[in-house]
Amino acid sequence: MAAVTTGDAAAAAFRVTPAVASALPGDEPFVVEPPAEPPRDTPGVVIGSVEVTAPSTGTVEVVVDGWRFELRVEPERRARLRDRATRDRAAGHAAGSLEVRAIIPGRVVSVAVATGDAVDAGQELLVIEAMKMQNELRSPRPGVVERVAVAAGQTIELGDVLAVLGPPAESPA
Amino acid sequence: MTERGTISSAPSLRKDGAGERPFSRVLIANRGEIAVRISRACRDLGMEVVAVYSDADEAAPHVRGADAAVNLGPAPAAESYLRIDAIVEAALATRAEAIHPGYGFLAERAAFARAVEDAGLVFVGPTSEAIAALGDKLAARRLAVAAGVPVVPGTLEPAPVDRPDQVDAILAEADSVGYPLLVKAAAGGGGRGMRRVERRDDLPAALAAAAAEARSAFGDGSVYLEREVRPARHIEVQLIGDDDGTIVALGERDCSIQRRHQKLVEESPAPGLGRDERRRLHELAVAAARAARLTNAATAEFLFDSDREFRFLEVNTRLQVEHGVTELVADVDLVAEQFRVAAGRPLSARILEAASRASDPGRHAIEVRLSAEDPARAFAATPGRIGTWAMPSGPGVRVDSGVEAGSRVPPDYDPLVAKILVVAEDRPAAVARLRRALAETQVTGIQTTLPFLSHVAASEAFVSERLSTDWVAEHWDGPAARAAAFERAATAAAAAVGNGMAPVAGRLAATPPASAPSGWAATGREDAVDRWPR
Repeated sequence: MAAVTTGDAAAAAFRVTPAVASALPGDEPFVVEPPAEPPRDTPGVVIGSVEVTAPSTGTVEVVVDGWRFELRVEPERRARLRDRATRDRAAGHAAGSLEVRAIIPGRVVSVAVATGDAVDAGQELLVIEAMKMQNELRSPRPGVVERVAVAAGQTIELGDVLAVLGPPAESPA
Repeated sequence: MTERGTISSAPSLRKDGAGERPFSRVLIANRGEIAVRISRACRDLGMEVVAVYSDADEAAPHVRGADAAVNLGPAPAAESYLRIDAIVEAALATRAEAIHPGYGFLAERAAFARAVEDAGLVFVGPTSEAIAALGDKLAARRLAVAAGVPVVPGTLEPAPVDRPDQVDAILAEADSVGYPLLVKAAAGGGGRGMRRVERRDDLPAALAAAAAEARSAFGDGSVYLEREVRPARHIEVQLIGDDDGTIVALGERDCSIQRRHQKLVEESPAPGLGRDERRRLHELAVAAARAARLTNAATAEFLFDSDREFRFLEVNTRLQVEHGVTELVADVDLVAEQFRVAAGRPLSARILEAASRASDPGRHAIEVRLSAEDPARAFAATPGRIGTWAMPSGPGVRVDSGVEAGSRVPPDYDPLVAKILVVAEDRPAAVARLRRALAETQVTGIQTTLPFLSHVAASEAFVSERLSTDWVAEHWDGPAARAAAFERAATAAAAAVGNGMAPVAGRLAATPPASAPSGWAATGREDAVDRWPR
C-alpha cells in the first residue's frame, strides 16, 4: 500500500465518513485534500443541510446526481489521533453481538423468531409493512437470537432496534 | 371540518351546454399529487373543491388550496382515506355533488362507488357494477375470454387456500399453468398480494403469504394463478366511455420498466408497434370494455410478448397514475372529461377526434415517477422531510406533484412524490427533453429515484427501445452507481465544512469532478481504509 498523504499534506486534509453506517460499497471513509482553487457551482451537486459542530468539523448533506449522502467531515489529523485511541478497543469486538435495526419506519406484521433460536444468514426474522408493501427482514448473518425487541402490531421508527443477534452457537463436536 | 369561502354560483363563461360546469362542488377522496391534479381540473372547469385529509396530511398542499377540508382521522389509511362512511358523510356535510376517488385507496372498491351512489351523489368513475365486474381480476379474465380477447394463461377460479384438503388440487392446477408462475390477488393491483413462485415446493407458502397480504391490503384474500410471461412488455390502453354506450381508446402506453410490478417509467405511443398492431390492440381493449359495459375512464392492461401477441391482464376501473402521458399525446384533459361524462354528457368532440388519431398519434410523451425510494437499496422506502425541492419546467415539460420544500413524506402512503412528464414531436426529441428535465431536478432531505430515472434516460437500451419487464434487473446496478458518486460527494462535503462555508441558495461549491480518478484520491482512500478500525 502506498501512503502518499504524509506530512503537511495529510495534516491539511479532511476525512469524510458516512454519518449513517451503511453496508453499501463506496461508503468507506475517504480522505480529501483541501480544494486548491475556490469552489464553484458544479452541475449535479446540491448541498442540503450543513451542520458545523467544531472548526472544520461537521455533518453535510450532499446530493450528487440524485444520490443523497450524509457525510461527517473532520480534519484528518484529529481523526488519526482518535483512531489510535480506539484501535485496541475495537479489535476485540469483531465477533460480538449485532443489533438489527429498522431501515424503514412501519409496522411489524409478524415475528418469525424467538430468543435462543439459531438462524442462518438470509433466514426471515420478521415482516414489516411500510408504504403498503410487506417487507421480509432477513438475517444478515448466522447467529443465535439474543433478544427480540418488538412484537407483531407494533409501530417502529427508523433506527429502532428490532432484534439482537449473538454469535453462532458452537456446533457439537 | 373547516369551511372556506362560500359556494359561488358564477355563471359559466361559455354559452353552449358543453362549457357549463359539470358540478358546482366536488369532493376529492385522495391525497398527494393526484388530489392536486384533480383539483386543477376542477378549477379549470369552475368547480369548487372539498379536500379530505388524515392527521399526517394536515399541512399538505392538496388541503391548503381547497374551498373546504375535512379531517378523516389518524394517519393509517384504514383509519382515514379508506373510511367510506366518513368520506360520504364529509361530501354530504359540505354539499359536494360528486366524489372523485383518484387512484389507489377506494378508487376500485365497488362498495365505495355504491355507497356514493346510494347517498345520492355522483361517483366520478365507472359504475359500481362495472367496478365489481372488472375489479375482481378473475371475473375480468372470464369476461375477456367470453369476449374473445386472448388472456395470459392461468386459472379462472379462486384457489381454495383455506382448505388443506385442496392442496393437491391446487398443485395439479399449477402444474398445468407451468412454472415460474405468479400468485395474484383477485382484488389486487400494484404488485400487492402477489408472489412469484419458481418451484412447486414453494407454492403453498406463497399462496398463504399472498392471501394474507391481499386480505390486509384489500380485505379480500382470494388469489389465483397466472403464468409468468417473461420477457414481456407491459402495454395498456386508455379507455373512456359515456352513458350512451360510446367507448373509445385514446391510445396506448408502454409501462414495461417496472420493479416489483410497480411502474417506474411510462411512455406513449408504445415504441415499435405498427399502425395495424396498434389498431388491433385498441380494438381488443374496447371489446373487453364493452363486454363489461364500462363507462367513464379505465385502462385495459396487456402483456406483449416476443411472439408479438397481446394478452389481456386486467382492466383498471380508475384514472391511472400515468394518465398524463396520454393527455400530452392526445392533447386532452382526461380528468375534465371524467367529470363531464359523470354529469351525464356524451363524450366531447375533442375526445372523439383524439380517439380517431389514436393509431397514428404524431407526438411522443414520457413520464418518470420520482419516488421516495432508494434505488441503491432495492428501492426501499425513504420517508422523511424534503429540503430543497426544485422541479423542471419549460417547453414540453409537465410536473404533477403533491409536495413542496419542507413537506414531510409520511411512511403511511405511496412513496410517489412527483411525476415528471415530457412531450415532443417524436421519441428521440422526448428522450432528450427528459434528460434536460431531470438535470433541472433537485431534491434534498430524502433519497429519491432520481439517479435511476437519469440512468434510464441516458441508457443506450432505453434509447434504442429495448424495453421489457426485466429492464431493471438487466440494466441497473444501484450500489455501483451510488459508489461512483461518492468521491464527488466527499469532495463537496469537505469544501462545505472544511472551508467553513455556508450553502448559497441551497447550492454550493464543490471542486469540479475529475474526468479520470485522480491518484491522490485513490491512495488517500486506500490509506484511510487501511487505518480505519473495523
